Amino acid sequence: MFVLGSPAAAGLLLFIGVLAPNVLAQVPPPPPPPVQSGAPAGAKPAAEMPQVPQASAPPADPAARRGEYVASAAGCLGCHTEAKDKAAAYAGGRALKTPFGTFYGPNITPHPVAGIGKWSEADFARAIREGLRPDGAHYFPAFPYPSFARITDADLKDLWTYLRTLPPSARPNQAHDLGFPFNWRFLVRFWKWLYFTPGRFTPDPKRSAAVNRGNYLVNVLGHCGECHTPRNFLGGPKRARHLAGTPKGADDGGTSNLTPSNLKKWDDAELAGFLQSGMTSEGDVTGERMGEVVRNTTSRLTAQDLSSMIAYLRALPAIADEP
Amino acid sequence: MNRFMTVAVAGAALALGVATEAMAQAKPDVLVKQRQAAMTLIGKYWGPVAGMASGKVPYNADIVARNATYLENLSQMPWDGFHESTKGEKSRTLPEAYSQKAKFDEIAERMQAEIAKLGVVARAKNEAGVKQQFGAVGKTCGACHDGFRAK
Repeated sequence: MFVLGSPAAAGLLLFIGVLAPNVLAQVPPPPPPPVQSGAPAGAKPAAEMPQVPQASAPPADPAARRGEYVASAAGCLGCHTEAKDKAAAYAGGRALKTPFGTFYGPNITPHPVAGIGKWSEADFARAIREGLRPDGAHYFPAFPYPSFARITDADLKDLWTYLRTLPPSARPNQAHDLGFPFNWRFLVRFWKWLYFTPGRFTPDPKRSAAVNRGNYLVNVLGHCGECHTPRNFLGGPKRARHLAGTPKGADDGGTSNLTPSNLKKWDDAELAGFLQSGMTSEGDVTGERMGEVVRNTTSRLTAQDLSSMIAYLRALPAIADEP
Repeated sequence: MNRFMTVAVAGAALALGVATEAMAQAKPDVLVKQRQAAMTLIGKYWGPVAGMASGKVPYNADIVARNATYLENLSQMPWDGFHESTKGEKSRTLPEAYSQKAKFDEIAERMQAEIAKLGVVARAKNEAGVKQQFGAVGKTCGACHDGFRAK
């Protein structure tokens, strides 16, 4: 799902430039965004494709159902599930090729040995909010915690509840295969000092509820900028080009510019249709990297959430494509 | 009658030979038009199949069967348009389509094979089979659109 073929890959970004007031540490937790994640998971559009691995039946507990929706909005499945038919959902194993090496998404089912069964909720919160393992080591930012860190408390709690309902899988984790010196995990501390600012998502009172909700979905849960914002040689985001797309990389076709300079070619209905189906009304199919995002995430969002995302993207400053 | 058929077949074969020969010499801008036209038609007939297979549009087995057969034929048509000689033409095709030709051809063949499988289940009016297979086809389309086509 993440365009890890691009030079971008392992790093992660955040748009401190754009959202500086939102990312200051020690901001008190804001009230949940207006259109909270309470959208029922049952409201999945029918566009999902049959071979997407799914955790069995939808959970009965309403908190877990909300958490399932958060997991879809955050696209957890993509990196935490092996890319093969009938792979156990969330049992890890997906290879993410990046210029820094290959990362393998870990097992996040509640298996006590292979998964995160022994974790506490506080361990989980620390992983998402601070990019730290329970033993205190730093996660590589291939795990997009620079985006996820600003998740609301309610969504974090629901997500945790949902993950606890998954069938435990004994699938063992695979060690990352990284080149020197990127395999020195302690260097991530330095990377985080440069590029990671913890904090909470704060709605902007000057913006509409839809734009704020869209901002949260695009930048926090959806982590769109992980692929759609270009990175520097250290894998840090080029904040001046937030969501402005990436040029063609060594072995990928780059990512589209999501700012109005490009999206103005599409009307809202076309964009919503694309996010639901992965193709244009002319039947033009998107690239498979985005196709996976559509299957795992955008096709599962409510129509209201999709229109919020579109409203947010429309409100971005227009940035021209890189020459 | 038989003699007429013999002549007709021979004539057709000759014409086909000439046509194939002519295609190989087609001008680069014509080759680009040809492949883009094939892709446009693939999109036209793929859209409704994908819409029906994903439940967005009411399922109509006759339309799916007809479109799948069209797609089977169309899926063979774009490829000779990606000829080396078209490198300099203006299009969204990335240079990798020519420099990584083996990979490009492999995906193109996989796409044709998956569409052929779609045709089998579509003509058998096997709705569940179509719903299963359409995702596999979509992935092969997307596989090429990532690395070989500019955004």
